Amino acid sequence: MNRFVTANPSKCIGCRTCEVACALAHSDGAGVEGLGPESFKPRIRMVKTADVSTAVMCHHCEDAPCVNSCPNNAIVYRQHSVQVEQERCLGCKNCVLACPFGVMDVVTVPAVRQFAVMTLSLGVKAQAHKCDLCIGRDAGPACVSVCPTNALTLMDRDAMDETLRRRRERAALEAAEVAA
Amino acid sequence: MEKHMAVCPYCGTGCKLNLLVEGGKVVGAEPLNGVTNEGELCLKGYFGYDFINDTKILTPRLRNPMLRRSRDAAFEAVSWDEAIQYAAKKLSEIKAKYGPDSIMTTGSSRGTGNETNYVMQKFTRAVLGTNNVDNCARVCHGPSVAGLQVTLGNGAMSNSIPEIEHTKCVLVFGYNVADSHPVIAKRIIKAKERGAKIIVCDPRKIETARLADLWLPLNNGSNMALVNAFANVLINEGLYDKEYVANHTEGFDEYRKIVDKYTPEYAEAITGLPAEDIREAMRIYAAAPSATILWGMGVTQWGQGVDVVKGLSGLALLTGNLGRPNVGVGPVRGQNNVQGSCDMGVLPTEFPGYQKVTDPEIREKFAKAWGVPSLPDQIGYRLTDVPHLAETGKLKAMYVMGEDPAQTEPDLTQVRKGFEAMEFVIVQDIFMTKTAMFADLILPATSWGEHEGVFSAADRSFQRFTKAVDAKGDVKHDWEIISLLATAMGYPMHYDNTREIWDELRELCPIFYGVTYEKMEGLGAVPWPCRDLDSAGSKYLYEGNVFQRPGGKGLLFATEWRPPRDQLTEEFPLILCTVREVGHYSCRSMTGNCAALQTLADEPGYVTINPKDAKALGIRDQELVWVSSRRGKVISRASVTDRTNKGAVYMTYQWWIGACNELTIHAVDPIAKTPEYKYAAVRVEAIADQVWAENYVQQEYAKLKGGLSNAVTGATNKAPAYA
Repeated sequence: MNRFVTANPSKCIGCRTCEVACALAHSDGAGVEGLGPESFKPRIRMVKTADVSTAVMCHHCEDAPCVNSCPNNAIVYRQHSVQVEQERCLGCKNCVLACPFGVMDVVTVPAVRQFAVMTLSLGVKAQAHKCDLCIGRDAGPACVSVCPTNALTLMDRDAMDETLRRRRERAALEAAEVAA
Repeated sequence: MEKHMAVCPYCGTGCKLNLLVEGGKVVGAEPLNGVTNEGELCLKGYFGYDFINDTKILTPRLRNPMLRRSRDAAFEAVSWDEAIQYAAKKLSEIKAKYGPDSIMTTGSSRGTGNETNYVMQKFTRAVLGTNNVDNCARVCHGPSVAGLQVTLGNGAMSNSIPEIEHTKCVLVFGYNVADSHPVIAKRIIKAKERGAKIIVCDPRKIETARLADLWLPLNNGSNMALVNAFANVLINEGLYDKEYVANHTEGFDEYRKIVDKYTPEYAEAITGLPAEDIREAMRIYAAAPSATILWGMGVTQWGQGVDVVKGLSGLALLTGNLGRPNVGVGPVRGQNNVQGSCDMGVLPTEFPGYQKVTDPEIREKFAKAWGVPSLPDQIGYRLTDVPHLAETGKLKAMYVMGEDPAQTEPDLTQVRKGFEAMEFVIVQDIFMTKTAMFADLILPATSWGEHEGVFSAADRSFQRFTKAVDAKGDVKHDWEIISLLATAMGYPMHYDNTREIWDELRELCPIFYGVTYEKMEGLGAVPWPCRDLDSAGSKYLYEGNVFQRPGGKGLLFATEWRPPRDQLTEEFPLILCTVREVGHYSCRSMTGNCAALQTLADEPGYVTINPKDAKALGIRDQELVWVSSRRGKVISRASVTDRTNKGAVYMTYQWWIGACNELTIHAVDPIAKTPEYKYAAVRVEAIADQVWAENYVQQEYAKLKGGLSNAVTGATNKAPAYA
């Protein structure tokens, strides 16, 4: 099973701490002072409506529409997650349209190449932009670690099994109450 | 990487954290397992540290003392020696000419700490010879202190923050916990998970209303009517604890007479709430084996704040929800050390440790300890009196420390006139602020992160914080600056460190005596009262249901509801209520200089409006709009949302362009003198030319930022004449 981050709307307080942690975790170590309105592109987004506050992010689908829609095989299943091979991304936005959750975006970043001691500008490079589960970060997804109300959880097979077990137990108890 | 333990400098939750330091620069913050935060931090706690590094995103750090010898002159950087001598001479002259009561000082409820506040009030009382010292509790929980002191005998939260998650019912009244204290919001979520019932009284659908079992969206300005109706239900349905009322309270008969009129049906007309919901709320509250009332500015920032506080404490008294764990009354303090500035006697009525200035024995004790023949016996001025007192010539000089009244007080036009009318203004701060632009002398202090000390969390817990980095520039600790000024004015004052100050005040305040630096080492938190060296302090107050009043009983108090002061008219048909948002804090001098926080929210800020009101006015979401009141007019951005009730609009108070305090009214509670920030009549208008409006915001913002920045760079460029 692919791992994914889930948000519990009954715990979310809409504070956007997750968004900042996400942006920082993908800032190549630039740190908080590198953040600015133009460069702020979190892969998790807090959504607030009249009745709901919650974060939305990639589900790392098992049969992912983004993977299926990519004409250049840039989106792949890897390490129990859906990952983008950025060097293959064309920026065609098929994946953006395919994603039913609105959590895939295409962004452009400055493209550069190091040649001897020179940095050559190659214009811009498109990137399919979505949650990568902070792959490579020892402590796991940054959003999960900072959420002040613990509204975010990293779901893997074990966590999913535990959730299902608790739900079945609750269902059994409720059934017993009905029978009584 | 170095790690230095600190307590978060933002809200009053008192979260312990480590500041991460590399090469003398703060590069991160990580949570510690403190008593109140248990390993959590919020948005500001995690990402609100870079202001220390002088990012200049909003306004520059102050690096030198700066003086202007006349109001039309530019600031010039001067030496500390010159700055102190100048201040001492001016203050002494004004004192000699107009008397000590012509001078007023402020403490700071922010990053400076308790020791500085103690020193400031000592300077004010012993050196200047006046009780004119106050702090921003005046504009926030002043009514909670005044109200609870009368009914229960103590103005603070009765129970500790960790207890909130173990209560069986939380009654949240006028308190947006998610935006004000995110880490306390977690306690409420946990309480609910443990089976507690949540009741929320708030006109807006705040985050806590989403998870409430019962949400009472009362009309803006109807608090007293609702609280009286609550009491009416408790009494008339026989839900109150008769034995507790008989044994531990007084005033029941008089109380009953007043609330008798406030049947839920009577209150329905004022509050707009169905009578049945009012009944249901009290049935839930009274049925809970333990219940906690939490409130915030939605209770206090009214012309009738003190009365409502007294009324809320009455609900706890009626149901016996005091004097034991997991119950109580919780005025949750907004600023990290606003509890502390009150604790330290930065109040015109009280010495440190809540000892009255009107008590001759107390005065004598402090006079003896401070080595002066006598101390002033008259209650001093309140912060909100300042504009009027200055304009009428009663107040001639003001020494503002770590506050920005030109941003945070109501009716800013009046505030500016007040500052202009004064003969001498000192501003002591870490940043160039809007208030500092009115100063004759600016004294630069070290910031949180650059000094150590003790803060008081909202639940009365004293906690130590340490220094992480050395300050840059020619700056000094706040308490050091005040000591130098005292000495220059002929009162030798010298402290080597904060501990020395702490030990001096501990000896003078019986309720703090047992709180030693040793006990607060590391993650140690000691809630006062703590009278003995072997005591761990008091997690909850009123043990044994003994109240700190003559006779030891709690007072039941009710009074008639009064409508808000400002009048809605055809010209100004909407209610403006000022509120908080999670990412910015107070006047924004700190959070506005933090890259992450400023990225999430910048000028001109939002005015939130109900979709029906927006539609009637032809306003679409995210458009710029004019908001005007009888007192001013500002530009803001519309956020059209169903969470905002019809007929009211809401603005946060930290913006320079969308400055809601240009619009608010100077109508104050008669006792606490806290302004009615929650109710001003306004008009909202669409702007046809949005391109012009966007440009206007950018230009005005650049002008304001440039003005503050140039004042500092202009002074330092001319600087080192003395160096």
